[in-house]
Amino acid sequence: MAKRAYPTRRLVCAGLLVAALGVCFTTAVVAASAELPPLLQPAGTEHHVGKVIWLDLVTPDLSAAKKFYGGLFGWTFHDIRLGAAEYSVAYLDGRAVGGLFHKAVAASEHRQPAWLTFIAVPDVDAAKQTAVAQGAKILAEPHTYPARGRQAVFSDPQGAVFAVLASASGDPPDYLAQPGEWIWSSLIAKDPGADAAFYQALFGYEVFESANTDGSEHLILATDDFARASANELPDSAPHHRPHWLNFVRVLDTDAMTYRVGQLGGRVLVEPRVDRHGGKIAVVADPSGAPFGLLEWSDTQTKEVTP
Amino acid sequence: MSPVLRRSLAGLMAVAIVLVLEACVAGPGYEGGVVEASYGADFYEPYGYDYGGWGPGYRVGPPRGGEGHPDHHPGGHAPPYRAAAPSRGMPSIPTRSRGH
Repeated sequence: MAKRAYPTRRLVCAGLLVAALGVCFTTAVVAASAELPPLLQPAGTEHHVGKVIWLDLVTPDLSAAKKFYGGLFGWTFHDIRLGAAEYSVAYLDGRAVGGLFHKAVAASEHRQPAWLTFIAVPDVDAAKQTAVAQGAKILAEPHTYPARGRQAVFSDPQGAVFAVLASASGDPPDYLAQPGEWIWSSLIAKDPGADAAFYQALFGYEVFESANTDGSEHLILATDDFARASANELPDSAPHHRPHWLNFVRVLDTDAMTYRVGQLGGRVLVEPRVDRHGGKIAVVADPSGAPFGLLEWSDTQTKEVTP
Repeated sequence: MSPVLRRSLAGLMAVAIVLVLEACVAGPGYEGGVVEASYGADFYEPYGYDYGGWGPGYRVGPPRGGEGHPDHHPGGHAPPYRAAAPSRGMPSIPTRSRGH
């Protein structure tokens, strides 16, 4: 009897070893496929602290999002497996303009798809310390993706969600965005002044005051002698709405693009209107409800400030 | 094969399995761990955006650059941030085209 048991034990042990190797192999495959691409190819050497350098959309319907943004801006997509998840990098003229991440939402859940704003920092861990000291909450701890860089996600003291990223391939140079590229970012906050102080501590922004004609607070946040973002007051009629970052894509014709949004299954949240720079803006939502802006910007009548 | 030798071999095999699994977890990567199977920014924001309240004077867009800006905080009190010096002109967004 005992002699028959030994082969059985050996078989069990061998089975365990094979299973362990299988787990190891599977993990290695997942790890190898979970690589996020660099922001710049080839890598650059510029770094622009406080600049919005990347955006990731979290959406419950990746194929619908790709169809929408591809149809609207001519973006093309490269799919990447992040373990069991799907992630797609959007490109315009060969340049990466953002990422689209699929995450299912249960029908009973009331969740807000959104574009997550990544702002450049030289040191994510130092940024984390500063952010927390200034009242931010950590939503995702610092993590390194070798090609992309090190990143973390926070909510600011008023609840607006944003990310910081130390890009491993450098930050995109300061060129005028082409139509179809992100051109501007606005922080919509309950108290823009307090939030400007928070982001100034984090990114070293120069803060310029620029009151709106309706009396609401409108601040310009700048680094490297370039305007990087604005901090705006939540409208009086929306006192209970959530602070958030809103990002704008440059377009040639806001009216036409707003109409196109409707054709592609999106919604118009703010109808086209003339803004302080003289061009038209609009705020729209993609088919899953993620909001973003459209911004007309002509190349003329612009003055860059030199130090 | 003696019982002692069999037990030793079984023990060695168990140790080997543990080492293999540990190697998988530690991996050759960074921070002593593998790349996360999930993405760290894969969460939805709290629900509650509304854009219905933008009055006609509400502005969010970038400046053209070179404009002046007030040398005092609206309301007269000191702002919670360090305001740019009044002598500093309002900057624009980058306007240099690629290839120039």
